[in-house]
Amino acid sequence: MKEVMAVIRMTRMNQTKQALAEAGVSSLTACKVLGRGKGIVDYRLLQGAEAGHEEAIAQLGRDPKLVPKRLLVTVVPDAKVATVVETIISVNQTGQAGDGKIFVLPVLGAIRVRTGETGEAAINEMTE
Amino acid sequence: MIMIRAIVRPDKCDAVMAALMDAGFPAVTRINVHGRGKQRGLKVGEIQYDELPKELLMLVVRKEDQDFAIQAIMRAARTGEKGAYGDGKVFVSPVDDVYTVSSGQKETVV
Repeated sequence: MKEVMAVIRMTRMNQTKQALAEAGVSSLTACKVLGRGKGIVDYRLLQGAEAGHEEAIAQLGRDPKLVPKRLLVTVVPDAKVATVVETIISVNQTGQAGDGKIFVLPVLGAIRVRTGETGEAAINEMTE
Repeated sequence: MIMIRAIVRPDKCDAVMAALMDAGFPAVTRINVHGRGKQRGLKVGEIQYDELPKELLMLVVRKEDQDFAIQAIMRAARTGEKGAYGDGKVFVSPVDDVYTVSSGQKETVV
């Protein structure tokens, strides 16, 4: 069992949800987050700051600004991790900085609250 | 790699973010959360507040940078010299793989 956490663009949420559902992963948790990456700056601001405009320098600040993103979390069986990662990448990839990151974390256990099933059975979407 | 999730005071959040930037960890995700701790929240008069606002900072670092990053967070997030109840917690968990969406590359390092 693995937990796949993906930080993606706000605007790609619907497409990602749809693509994941088509790939057979419909259960997910999402929330709105703020974040920063390696440090992307608006180049017009940077140029303005270099030219010595005070407003641009003030806006630039010391640190890169926090960007709103969507955090998408889903727990899937080991066999599905590659599919999920590929789906998220194919939908969200524009090739520009800010597309996001995907983290894969190990999960020790899962329990379905409704039935009390544990382990792989708890996250199996094929039952019912 | 290692994921560090730190729950800190909202008013200490900027200080922690700046400390992380200085320590060389620019990439951080910030999430608004509410929660309670060991002290069961805060009691003001008759009212018990058990959903206190906090910020959850999430970052993924190399194994070797783990202690350094945690020290940076600790120093910035603590209230006063000794710290106080409600300063927060830091959780550390293993990360198997890391991918960058824009390049589609796997960027896992130890």
